[in-house]
Amino acid sequence: MSEDYNDNKTIHAQSSETMGGGSAGVTPDMDYVRPAEIADQDLYHGHSFITKWIFCQDAKVIGVQYFLLATFTGVVGLILSWLMRLQLGFPGAAGFVTAEHYYQFVTMHGMIMVVYFLTALFLGGFGNYLIPLMVGARDMVFPYLNMVSFWSFFVAVAVLMASFFVPGGPTGAGWTLYPPQTILEGTPGSGAGILLMCLSLILFVAGFTMGGLNYLITVLQARTRGMTLMRMPLTVWGIFTATVLAMLAFPALLVGALMMSLDKVLGTSFFMPTILKAGEVLEYGGGSPILFQHLFWFFGHPEVYIVALPAFGIISDLISVHARKNIFGYRMMVWAIVGIGALSFFVWAHHMYVSGMNPWFGFFFATTTLIIAVPTAMKVYNWILTLWRGNIRMNTVMLWCLGFIVTFVNGGITGIFLGNVSVDVPLSDTYFVVAHFHMVMGIAPLMVIMGAVYHWFPLVAGRFLSEKLGKWHFWLTFLGAYSIYFPMHYLGFIGVPRRYYEMYDSPYVTSAVGMNEFISLAAFLVGAAQFILIYNIIKTLKTGKPAGKNPWKANSLEWLTPTVPPEHGNWGDRLPVVHRWPYDFSVPGAKDDYITQTTPPSEVSNTGVEKT
Amino acid sequence: MSGILKKLFSTLLQKPWEKEQMAIDTSHTGKTFNISEQKSAVIIIFGIATVLFSLIFTAYIYSIPPGQDTMYLLKPNLLWLNTTILFFVSYFFYKITKDLERKETSKIKKNLIIVGGLSYLFLFGQIIFWMQLMKSGNFVTTNTYFSSFYVFTTLHGLHLLGGLFFWGKVSSRVLKIEHSKILDQEKSITALSWYWTFLLIVWLAFFLMIYIFNDAFIEWCKSIIA
Repeated sequence: MSEDYNDNKTIHAQSSETMGGGSAGVTPDMDYVRPAEIADQDLYHGHSFITKWIFCQDAKVIGVQYFLLATFTGVVGLILSWLMRLQLGFPGAAGFVTAEHYYQFVTMHGMIMVVYFLTALFLGGFGNYLIPLMVGARDMVFPYLNMVSFWSFFVAVAVLMASFFVPGGPTGAGWTLYPPQTILEGTPGSGAGILLMCLSLILFVAGFTMGGLNYLITVLQARTRGMTLMRMPLTVWGIFTATVLAMLAFPALLVGALMMSLDKVLGTSFFMPTILKAGEVLEYGGGSPILFQHLFWFFGHPEVYIVALPAFGIISDLISVHARKNIFGYRMMVWAIVGIGALSFFVWAHHMYVSGMNPWFGFFFATTTLIIAVPTAMKVYNWILTLWRGNIRMNTVMLWCLGFIVTFVNGGITGIFLGNVSVDVPLSDTYFVVAHFHMVMGIAPLMVIMGAVYHWFPLVAGRFLSEKLGKWHFWLTFLGAYSIYFPMHYLGFIGVPRRYYEMYDSPYVTSAVGMNEFISLAAFLVGAAQFILIYNIIKTLKTGKPAGKNPWKANSLEWLTPTVPPEHGNWGDRLPVVHRWPYDFSVPGAKDDYITQTTPPSEVSNTGVEKT
Repeated sequence: MSGILKKLFSTLLQKPWEKEQMAIDTSHTGKTFNISEQKSAVIIIFGIATVLFSLIFTAYIYSIPPGQDTMYLLKPNLLWLNTTILFFVSYFFYKITKDLERKETSKIKKNLIIVGGLSYLFLFGQIIFWMQLMKSGNFVTTNTYFSSFYVFTTLHGLHLLGGLFFWGKVSSRVLKIEHSKILDQEKSITALSWYWTFLLIVWLAFFLMIYIFNDAFIEWCKSIIA
């Protein structure tokens, strides 16, 4: 531990930014650094295999644990999608995919991919690994709680997977779990399946709350000296804002899951109206299914941005590093992240246009939905303007970045279509919606995840992933994904309904038959292409090219640790001191085309000031 | 609050790439708010719990059964006795924090024990209240009025139990140390005090809502919309 920190236990935060603190003026010495005023963190270092790698309190190990478990759930979700596409493209080809199974696969695929894969991977995986490193902390502020967070997630996944093996199987009510049919007989998995789903979601939310508490307080209160909020990489801004969203949105999912469990187990009627079944009135009565829809989408729409905002942040950093240019409009990017986060709580009912809501509500939510496109478009322009006249390195990471921009714009524009009530109502139950949301929150975030994996793998493992395999991986995924979802828009336009186990013999959708076969074949290919990454990782760990320190010549702190991969505590004896923002690329007058965040001004005194 | 917002907006307006701003930023300590990590955690928990309870309140308002006497739950004396106990918990926490401010530690140990004892008494009183309700034929399944009450009080009780878990940890530390060293535990004790005050506010808000949203008020709202 640094002497500086051991000798200074008192916390007197004073800076231009500290709320309630004073203001520090410009100092005459250009390299002046305020003495440390915050006590260094005492960490628990594991001594056995179990405390080092299993019940570990190091945020980096927890990040990798989250990543691996989320990837496992993602593979399960992928296999389920294959089975669905097998049935849709080649009905009856797999005899065991009955109608009940099909709906169970749809439900589990949706919930797994949105919550247990994307959310867990972005926030739990990247959040844990990157936040302490990028803000210059030794670890999260509450490491023990952080460990409990991961193991809650583990139990949540175990409970979810257990639902495949209970009588009746997992719930088949659709990933939105709409009551009343979700808990009534006749819906697949309406017994133990839905209960395990609700229990798993409750555990997930409880676990995430512990992790989220850590992310927020670490970002707000445990940054290193010189790391102001506006010097943080956009990755941290994205994860931070997404965490705020999650902390405010997940309680709605919790309340929904809890009340639905009570409706099922105790016979309450929170979401259950009076129901006549086979001539008999059920004991339920007085509840509102629409209430559940409101609760679900009050969580569900911010959830889109819980996935998207970290992706926005990460892609901004990847583009900046690999185009050797500062991010265009840094402040605007931060404002857009914060603005999108705030607006995301005012758009939820655009998922409910067909629920019979008052037309004025539709008008309101259509307006807010269109407004949210403004800051989102600003971000897209800024990514493109960052690339403009950049010294672009057309490596695998950059390919994924470009793939993201294209797929995100594509999915975003169809989202603007669907934000309008009059367009949404006829398209709502068709494959157009499926194409839209897979493009914007399936493929686009996947592109970011892959770009991030190729970018940060050298930090985690100390070796470069194979570029050749990476390019194969990218092109098969990118072209394959387009082959899946581009035709799907057309299917929606001709009226092919979603959520159907098989297409009935309709003269209106004959052109859909061949297209469904094509889409299914493309889906098999894209799914299989993801195993290239797994092969690449295994191969690289054995024989990959050593990366050394800061292989991409980046500026942000995670690349500046004394050892690569970073050890527990990250920074050796002394915490880093930050002298600049992380986007000083190709600065006029500088010797190199990058200036790291820890480079003091005196070392680059001849440089000019960048414009952004 | 306005000060915080002003600071927040001024932060978002900074231009970190400019040399003048760079010189200022390098002096930054790394903390955004001048409070401890424990208090930061409690404030964030307030935010999450507020959303959670607000949704329960919304669910209640959304589905008040027609013809239900909404004042029913407010009539039993036991409810108000329990509420008084919760008041006293906050009062004793107030005394503890005042003592900490004055650096007067002689009564803190005793008051911390009283706080825990009263909290358990409150939970016990709530269970008795549930039993009384069930004895009078009002179960969780009776209608959404009673369902909401049972769910709210369960979640409130679970939050209180969570608080009692941390109260146990802090109290066991405090009871072991000398009076002069109790001040070292100020951050944790104050965080607990905030938490209990929050639980009292949530409790009162729920019953205030039940009081306000009665048949007459709902009719009045409908007349405005009509």
